[in-house]
Amino acid sequence: MLERTTYFQKCLRRLKQDVLRMGALVEDSFRLSHQCLFAGKLELAQEFQSREKRIDQYYRQIEEECATILTLQAPVAKELRILSAYMQLVRDLERIGDYAQNLTEMAVKLFNYPPHPCMKEIEEMSDFAQGMLRKSLKALGELDGTAGETIKHLDDEVDNAYTKIYQTLAQQRNIQGAVEPILLLALAIRDLERMADHATNIAQRVSYIVNGHRD
Amino acid sequence: MPFIQFILGLSLGVGFFFWKQYQTDRQLRGMLDFLSDETAELASLPVLSLVRREVSRIFQTREQLQLQLQTWQQILEIAPIGYLLLDEDNQLIWCNQKARELLTMDSWRSGTVRLLLEFVLSYELDRAIERTRKSQQTQVIEWQFYSPKTNGKRTPLLLKATCFPLPQQEVGVFLENQQPLVELSQSRHRAKAYLAHELRTPLTSISLVAETLQSRLQNPERSWVERMLKETQRLIELVQNWLDISRLQENPQEQLQYQSIKIEELIFSAWETLQPLAQQKEVELNYFGHECVELEADRDRLTQVLLNLLDNSIKHSPVRGKIRVEVETDRPKTGELTINIIDSGSGFAAADLPHIFQRLYRGDPSRTRQSSDLSHPETLPRDGGSGLGLAIVQQIIKAHGGSITAQNHPETGGAWLKIVLPLE
Repeated sequence: MLERTTYFQKCLRRLKQDVLRMGALVEDSFRLSHQCLFAGKLELAQEFQSREKRIDQYYRQIEEECATILTLQAPVAKELRILSAYMQLVRDLERIGDYAQNLTEMAVKLFNYPPHPCMKEIEEMSDFAQGMLRKSLKALGELDGTAGETIKHLDDEVDNAYTKIYQTLAQQRNIQGAVEPILLLALAIRDLERMADHATNIAQRVSYIVNGHRD
Repeated sequence: MPFIQFILGLSLGVGFFFWKQYQTDRQLRGMLDFLSDETAELASLPVLSLVRREVSRIFQTREQLQLQLQTWQQILEIAPIGYLLLDEDNQLIWCNQKARELLTMDSWRSGTVRLLLEFVLSYELDRAIERTRKSQQTQVIEWQFYSPKTNGKRTPLLLKATCFPLPQQEVGVFLENQQPLVELSQSRHRAKAYLAHELRTPLTSISLVAETLQSRLQNPERSWVERMLKETQRLIELVQNWLDISRLQENPQEQLQYQSIKIEELIFSAWETLQPLAQQKEVELNYFGHECVELEADRDRLTQVLLNLLDNSIKHSPVRGKIRVEVETDRPKTGELTINIIDSGSGFAAADLPHIFQRLYRGDPSRTRQSSDLSHPETLPRDGGSGLGLAIVQQIIKAHGGSITAQNHPETGGAWLKIVLPLE
């Protein structure tokens, strides 16, 4: 039933498992930061230190593994594309993890201020970005070459939301008290927008693995 | 002469032939004996037909086994709980219908073997499977699963996975959907909290009316209204307690106001409040505490806990009984404070012990309720046991991050409540 798996295939499979594990961990971090920011579950923020370490560990380990396989096995064609894409992709994942940590830190600071009317829209934006990350990781799991295009469209929506919320925040006039919450929210939407960008990158790298060319 | 030579050669050949035949026969019989014990009885039959018989029998058993295997697989396929089978490299070998449904794996096809993570991106499940393989012990986890399909709107499922080790480093996983349970208990709590809330307003106005009437009436009407007022107050208290528990359960942290408290002082002030009751029965309090212990806690809530527990102890103590309160702490080690409250009563009934912290649970009705007694004016239990006291105590202790356990003291046989609280 099973075709004979060579040592090389086994290495690739283990590598893929690690990349997906890292993806699952990052996705989880994103979700935690969302709950921290919008559901006020600040106790989750304490978990982030150890999470950050684990993500970093995966990042370094995968990069090293990729380099080892590249030098020892000298892969060609699709396998070569897979390895080079992985090396880039873990960077994207690691960045998303970093941004998630940023968001929790902001959540802790924001907790002292009354909720801003923009919160609802920002929450939708965060939901959207998370959906994108989930879709691109799914594309990575299934090696779906068409996802790159779809997710690029979704990214446009996040960009629009960013511009809109930015305008609302920037044009606010009746400011009473400190400007810190507005600053924090502007930084938060910036981070969310960057996270969506990285998710798009991941999906596009998957397209590159499958199709062999960048769109 | 050549004739004799011929005969000699022939008999030698024939001898050899029979000897070889005999040897093969013995080997075959030996093999048949090894395969099944039936052949011994049919030893008279020629070996060849015995072998044929045995081969067809083996074929038959194989078919039967295959059929059985298929049946088992079909049963697993339609089982109401999800099942996943993973090989040593965490690749999904097989999964059933329910598992595909719960984890939304539409792209899975039987026969293709791929990594589980390619279908199900869940860090928790992956960890649990790894732990199972490493420890070779069954692992049970409950976690929120976010389906990859849900876009934007967040509707996680609470799933329970039981991972168990199989031979050759394989791991099997059972999946159960806990979401309906969560929703059911949530809606039940909501409904009860809503009901309690709705009851409070009319009860308050009834008690107000009764208070107004009280001053304007003469006996015997006046005493009737007084009784009504008392009962109404009790109901209001019950409803209030219920709302308190619900609130404490929903968001425990927000309901507490932490401050620094000297525990010894708190215990004696609670005892002071209960003096009238204690004096009636001449019950004494024996306090054992080595040092002056301070902890961070909500003063009012903790007082409520102590009042409740000491009140219970007094009620269940015999006349001139003693209540023992011990306070211990091992600050450098665990940073925990232990309070033991032991009364000299007859203790809890064994059947009640597992339930005493449940809302509205009452122990032996003959002991706590005296409603059938017509000579008593009250319809609610005289000792005020609404069945919420210990439930509220437990919620308050839990909200503080502590725990409370109940048992009977092995020496005195009295009720023994043990509270463990973190100092900070």
